[in-house]
Amino acid sequence: MPRYLIRRLGQAFLVVAGVIVLTFAIMRLVPGDPAVAYAGPKATAAELAAARQRFGLDDPLPVQLWNYVRDLLGGDWGTSLHTRQPVRDDLFQAFPASLELVGAALIIALVVGIPLGIAAARYKGRLPDLSVRLSSMLAVSVPVFWLALALQTVFASGLGWFPVAGEYDASLDRTSPLHLYTNITAVDALITGNWPILMSTLAHLVLPALVIAAYPAGVVAQMTRAALIEESSRDHARLERALGFGETAVLTRFALRPALNPVLSLIALVFAYSIVNGFLVEAVFNWPGLGRYAADSIRSLDTPAIAGVTLLVAVLYVVANLAVDLLQGVVDPRVRAR
Amino acid sequence: MRWHMRLLAAGAVAAVTVTAAACSGGQVRGAADSSPEPGSSAGSAAGTADSTFVYVPNLDVVTDWDPASSYSNENIAMENIYESLTRYNPQTKKAEPRLAASWTSSPDGKKWTFTLREGAKFHTGKPVDAAAAKAAIERTMKEGQGAAYIWGAVKKIDAKDATTLEFTLKYPAPLDLIASAGYASYVYDTTAASGDLKKWFGEGHDAGSGPYTIDSWQKGKETELTLKAFDDYWGGWDGQHYKKIAYRVTPELTTAWQLLQRGEVSFVQRLNAQLFAQAGSTDTVQTSQTPSFQNLLVLFNTADGPLKDVKLRQALQKAIDYDGLVAAMKGAGVAASGLVPEGLLGNIPGMTPKQDLPGAEALLKEAGYGPGGKPLDLTLTYAQGDADQELLVTLLSSALDKLNVKLSAKPLQWTTQWDQGKAKDPSKRQDIFVMYWFPDYADAYSWFVNVFHGEKDVQFNLSYLKDAAIDKEIDELPALTATDKDAAEKAYSDLQNKIINEQAAVAVPYVQNYQRAFAKSVQGYVDNPAYPNVVFVYDLKPGA
Repeated sequence: MPRYLIRRLGQAFLVVAGVIVLTFAIMRLVPGDPAVAYAGPKATAAELAAARQRFGLDDPLPVQLWNYVRDLLGGDWGTSLHTRQPVRDDLFQAFPASLELVGAALIIALVVGIPLGIAAARYKGRLPDLSVRLSSMLAVSVPVFWLALALQTVFASGLGWFPVAGEYDASLDRTSPLHLYTNITAVDALITGNWPILMSTLAHLVLPALVIAAYPAGVVAQMTRAALIEESSRDHARLERALGFGETAVLTRFALRPALNPVLSLIALVFAYSIVNGFLVEAVFNWPGLGRYAADSIRSLDTPAIAGVTLLVAVLYVVANLAVDLLQGVVDPRVRAR
Repeated sequence: MRWHMRLLAAGAVAAVTVTAAACSGGQVRGAADSSPEPGSSAGSAAGTADSTFVYVPNLDVVTDWDPASSYSNENIAMENIYESLTRYNPQTKKAEPRLAASWTSSPDGKKWTFTLREGAKFHTGKPVDAAAAKAAIERTMKEGQGAAYIWGAVKKIDAKDATTLEFTLKYPAPLDLIASAGYASYVYDTTAASGDLKKWFGEGHDAGSGPYTIDSWQKGKETELTLKAFDDYWGGWDGQHYKKIAYRVTPELTTAWQLLQRGEVSFVQRLNAQLFAQAGSTDTVQTSQTPSFQNLLVLFNTADGPLKDVKLRQALQKAIDYDGLVAAMKGAGVAASGLVPEGLLGNIPGMTPKQDLPGAEALLKEAGYGPGGKPLDLTLTYAQGDADQELLVTLLSSALDKLNVKLSAKPLQWTTQWDQGKAKDPSKRQDIFVMYWFPDYADAYSWFVNVFHGEKDVQFNLSYLKDAAIDKEIDELPALTATDKDAAEKAYSDLQNKIINEQAAVAVPYVQNYQRAFAKSVQGYVDNPAYPNVVFVYDLKPGA
């Protein structure tokens, strides 16, 4: 296990180093002058020169890259040209909300996707299987932006079952101030027993989380079904049937565990994908996460912020993959032995 | 341990790790962080049955809290927190009293004396007197950021007594208009912080004298900012007023519309044409349309390339389908009459241009181009992602195509477009540059001095017009505006005739139109284009 861990950490380090170089290149290759973005469209030549000096834009590129890497390692992710705040602070503000939304979506995806996959495998070729395959295909292929608008129009604006937008009812800030420990509203509300904010947050979470959950739920259902069908055709499954276990028991007690390995790997990729996929959903539901920050950054050509979001998402991909690889080692000893 | 127990344990460890890593040390979001600090804010107006005005902007509200350097979207809040000496009224085209109750100027327009209203207080509890106003404006001038250049004419400021503030200028300038600017004109308490004032502002404090003061500011949150009534506001709180303002940032227009429909918000800054039409026919919603002070300029390269020939520039002016463009914009733009938008001194009615394709063809032929003549290739740059500019380009390309003129149009980010426009090598510049212009205070001078005055190094004169006679007339505008409004009006008219008709340096296809939607219960709303997107909430009455 230690050798496996070291190997995986080494690979992760190389990927992150590559991404750092790439984000720096993006910052410098994007057309336009960051000094103008900072100093404003009516800036004087002196103001532009001051902005260039402040951000070291007149230094040679290798020096700029070295400064960028050095600052990153020192915890300085640069200053946003739009918000004028440290990018790291901005990301720290925005990321927990995205994590909350995607976390809720993945829980929904797993809770819905795995049982649906099991049901489809259990009744392969029959109506439940066809229904699951059709609905998961729909869930995977429907554009999230459209789905978000549709759910919002019908269930929030039309029927009034859920709030139209926002993270929670802002008036609760006055009546039930929330103590922050993790910056994730639902978690903090739960930890501190702030039930009004917790209930409001959960109500606000339902629609955007369902929209983001659509894709991973569909993928998880399909993957679970395929993996279970493959596992249930192996020799051990024939033995289990010969010993008198029913089809449901074969699937859930014996085939599910090995079948979950590819599903877990998938979740890692889907998690980081959902963060980015959720950007549009955050825009529709006014969720104060990374999506809004990224959209504002792109609109204002805020290159340090764009690079910060890119780097954060890339690191998330790497960390999620690493976590799943290690988790697979926990679930399946064969992985550790490889 | 069974496999699913191991999985559960690993998940629990991961959750605890994430939680611990993200731990922010027990800050409080909400009421606790909004309570005023001693000496920073004198508290809110009494009364618990507070009515809240909920404003929906499309972008984050606050970039810079310092009233000296603030130069962005935060004006929608700042104008309710801070006050300047005067406020511009687009109906009368004059500045009106705000913190200054009255003012006079010397006949040569170089000395201005403002008499401050008595009884005004800063949110810090200190009185708004002439010394405080002098200190605030001098700090803004010294900081020299944002729109601080508006005070460029000021030589010195004297606080003659508690209510008399005297400005001596280097050259004549309309200081009553300058003092009404939407940025850099605020009077604030420069002694509010014991340490670094800029840092203190940056933490979300204010030192204004306006009707509202900062209640809470949560950067990046949906309800980014809330303001509460300032008890000691000089205007008082008799009668019906909103006691609180909340700024609920909503980038998605459809979401903003749904929030308004549901009655969750009071005012939506912007809707698209389709939603605006829908709002117009919704019982619970009112709409308002007001031409802004922002117009689109199509600047022709007068210095280099084929458009050096004035006939070709005039032909292009005639080729633009002005009416078609405004119709296609479905209310988002109105026809322009000259270079100066309606509501400003210098606006000339009756200068609305019309498309004239036969006229354009005749001019092209005179220059040796047009159908049957030499083909003409022109380059144009415009703002990427701006649907209205894209529409202009489509209509113009189509019209020019019939006249044997090929238009190569490039949508670019502003910084790239501007860099190309400013290129040292004239051959690298475009033939046509499309951009918006708006003034920093309600004075048409901004268009002329910035966009059409000769420059040593190109900044915004992107038609590259160099005409000594025009420059001389432009230089005389501030003095005329300060001393003789009728003469100024005539000078603006002459200049527009020269720049648009004689030099054909520019075409003005439309003025942007503000389309607002707000709840039926909001009473007394009037859009003031001198303060883009600002709602002066104190002036409104909350209805049933």
